[in-house]
Amino acid sequence: MSASRRSLHPWLLSRWVIVPAVLLMLVFGWNVNVAMNATGEVRGQVVDATGQPVPNATVQLFERSFVVNTEKQRATTGPDGRFRFEGNASHAVQLQAEAPGIGKSERRTLRLLFRAQDADLPEPLVLNP
Amino acid sequence: MQRGFPWARHAVLVVVSALMLLPFYWVLKTAITDENIYAYPPRLLPQDPHPYNFVDVWYLIPFPRYLLNSIIVSVLAVVGNVVLNAMAAYALTQNFRAKKLVILLLLSCMLIPFQATIIPAYLITARIGLLNTYLGLALPLISTIVCIFIYKSAFEAVPRSLVEAARMDGLSEWRIIAHVLLPLSRPAIATNVILAFIWSWNSFMWPLIITRDADMQTLPLGLARFLSYMEDTTGALYAFVCLVLAPGILVFLMAQSAFIRGLTHGATKG
Repeated sequence: MSASRRSLHPWLLSRWVIVPAVLLMLVFGWNVNVAMNATGEVRGQVVDATGQPVPNATVQLFERSFVVNTEKQRATTGPDGRFRFEGNASHAVQLQAEAPGIGKSERRTLRLLFRAQDADLPEPLVLNP
Repeated sequence: MQRGFPWARHAVLVVVSALMLLPFYWVLKTAITDENIYAYPPRLLPQDPHPYNFVDVWYLIPFPRYLLNSIIVSVLAVVGNVVLNAMAAYALTQNFRAKKLVILLLLSCMLIPFQATIIPAYLITARIGLLNTYLGLALPLISTIVCIFIYKSAFEAVPRSLVEAARMDGLSEWRIIAHVLLPLSRPAIATNVILAFIWSWNSFMWPLIITRDADMQTLPLGLARFLSYMEDTTGALYAFVCLVLAPGILVFLMAQSAFIRGLTHGATKG
């Protein structure tokens, strides 16, 4: 038994064991992180040119494919100008807001680290006349 | 000069190494940015690096499937080379009639380019029903002549008396290979592993010919497909290149010292 233990250690310390083991642990850790954060929620805020929140603005979510961006969802902002999408299944989306009488925002691209990542838009969508 | 100024030798080697690594660095830099590779003046350091090009590659095409296919084919090729080449090399270290003719035949086969043998190889693969299969993909690289001779050189360096002693102890020929020759030929094994892995990993034409389904394609074919879709996004393309290169570089780094010993084994003998 002790002889087999002695012969086991050099194999365990071999780079052919350590490197794949480290890679497997990294992959496992990454997948745990993905599983915990893949809710598909995309949140953000819409403001006007003066920086005031815009309620009842319509926000469109476009999903990116190879060459086209297809509209997948629409949401309406709340009293604080905030919006939330659920069930986003893409890793790269575009967001655009519009409010009658106020204007339209530029289309903002939001790239995610994995599909359906729980994400907040870092800066609000600004409506311009 | 070499003894008096070792720093000068090292400085030259560092500069040469940096020059050789520069294209790899440039590929990686472009992959983690969206910079135009033709921008002038070129920037040495990446600006606003991000990993999103790698994410695009992973999701926009079935990259995990291509990766799995490439790994399976490469593992088959590596195992085939390590086992079959050892058997062939052991046979070539024995004395038998027409041995020189066999060696001459093997060496002359190395002169024939693979492209010239593609049609018969395809017909044979089709006849045995291995088109569009992993084994069919790995078949042309499952035993390579160069690697047979690397093994042969390593086996010939093992003292003959050792093999004779093993034979007198009652070991069969198979066990002599497995328990005497292979443990003493680790550099040759590493060389076989690296060469077989890199050749099968980079193989393009053979998989292109014998695969029918997109699900059976390997990474080089995926790269060509990706290029046709994403011709205007250099960053994503270079990210794909990085992901294709990484396993080969990793395997090489893990086995480089044994690989170099294996390649120089015959050169320094005698």
